[in-house]
Amino acid sequence: MKPDSDQKITLEDLLRLKRAERPAPEFWVKFDADIRAKQLSAIVSRPWWDGLARGFTFMGRHQMPLGAAAALALTWVGVQHMATHQVASPHIVKLSVAAPPAPAPAAERVPSPVQLEMGPRLVVDAVARAEVAPAKPAMAAVSSHLVKAPVSLPPDVAAQSPFSDGLAVTFADYRDQAPAAVRTAVFGSDGDFETMAAPVRQTISDPLAQVDPAQERRARLLDSALPANPRAMVSDWIRSRSADDRIYESLDHTSDHLLTGIRF
Amino acid sequence: MNASKTLEKTLVASPERKLEADADLAVVRQVQAGDVAAFDRLITKYRERVVGIVYNMTSNREDAADLAQDAFIKAFQSIHRFQGQSSFFTWLYRIAINSTLSHLRKNRLRAFFSLEAIREEDPVSKEVIDALTDKTGVGRDTFVRELQEKLNDAMQKLSINHRTVVTLFEIDGLSHQEIAAVMDCSVGTVRSRLHYAKQLLQAELQPYLPK
Repeated sequence: MKPDSDQKITLEDLLRLKRAERPAPEFWVKFDADIRAKQLSAIVSRPWWDGLARGFTFMGRHQMPLGAAAALALTWVGVQHMATHQVASPHIVKLSVAAPPAPAPAAERVPSPVQLEMGPRLVVDAVARAEVAPAKPAMAAVSSHLVKAPVSLPPDVAAQSPFSDGLAVTFADYRDQAPAAVRTAVFGSDGDFETMAAPVRQTISDPLAQVDPAQERRARLLDSALPANPRAMVSDWIRSRSADDRIYESLDHTSDHLLTGIRF
Repeated sequence: MNASKTLEKTLVASPERKLEADADLAVVRQVQAGDVAAFDRLITKYRERVVGIVYNMTSNREDAADLAQDAFIKAFQSIHRFQGQSSFFTWLYRIAINSTLSHLRKNRLRAFFSLEAIREEDPVSKEVIDALTDKTGVGRDTFVRELQEKLNDAMQKLSINHRTVVTLFEIDGLSHQEIAAVMDCSVGTVRSRLHYAKQLLQAELQPYLPK
């Protein structure tokens, strides 16, 4: 709007004068110096929450990529974990296979070479796994071992008794030491026994069953002297009741007939 | 036709402003990427307008300088939060006006005026002054000083919000829409405030407005 003497001056024209109120050039020199100092001060001394606010702003702006990256990372970690688990599993399976398939009492009575070489912790693990996984074949092996013997024990009792295998081993020891007459009375003739027991022994794939009885006894004695004794898994009451000496003393050596009495 | 163009200009931001906003956004992205020196370009570009707005709201030169500097520093500190949903100058104006409104509310009872001299390089301003001095016949410098004080008094009689609307529309030349965006209110509110403020100013400056 261009006012002249003939034209009215409006409110807008007067306010236009306010627009013309401008500072001198020196003002801007000082203004620039001050604002630069304040800017440097702001850069140097940022508040502690500034980084947090920046982080939240960044996350808010990149929600989708961050979420996808997190999901990818979780997937990768999961795959890595599974791969590690699968690599570690064969060792466990190997231990389970190497451990005796018999139930725990048999395993503790005759420690296998694997048990002697393994630490106590591994033995416990192996026994625990053997109890859980292959219980059925182990029971079958033990029951077949006993049922084939002439001693008339019910198969279910033999299978359920925790020290049944111990009895079988003790009888085998006694058979080596007792006179031939007694052995014949108890077990029948050697020929009969051997013909009945040989197939069973051959079919047994248990490495513990293939160990020589003398070696078993030596291992048993050594086992009691070892500090890390797997027998700790069995209660003392059962161990005392099933001791070899008690069974041996219960036999009547004077008579022609072998009388056994096991007291519990 | 001409009237409709004027109306459109007052209501909606001009295409030049949109181009300007795009250029500012590019500079802002540079600053966000770590180029701190790029922010100096924004300071140089907007310092006079920001200082002018704050000065016309406070009528104090020193306060205007401090508040404008604080507005730039606040904008610099929080520029990583600027997402480009509005233009940079709207965002910067909002920071400056909020700081100024807060300052004025705190110092409502303490007002010291230090006015700048009117630069007569602007041809329209020079012609207005010439016309008024010719009519009154008083000395030019004295008349300009008196007129400036009267204008300042009239502006200070307005409420803070009315003064802000008048400053942004009449002095800085923002559209209604831009003022609404800066002041975070509706366009209707801007219009009603502007109408009311002009009525008050008209009454205050009646001696300088010949019938």
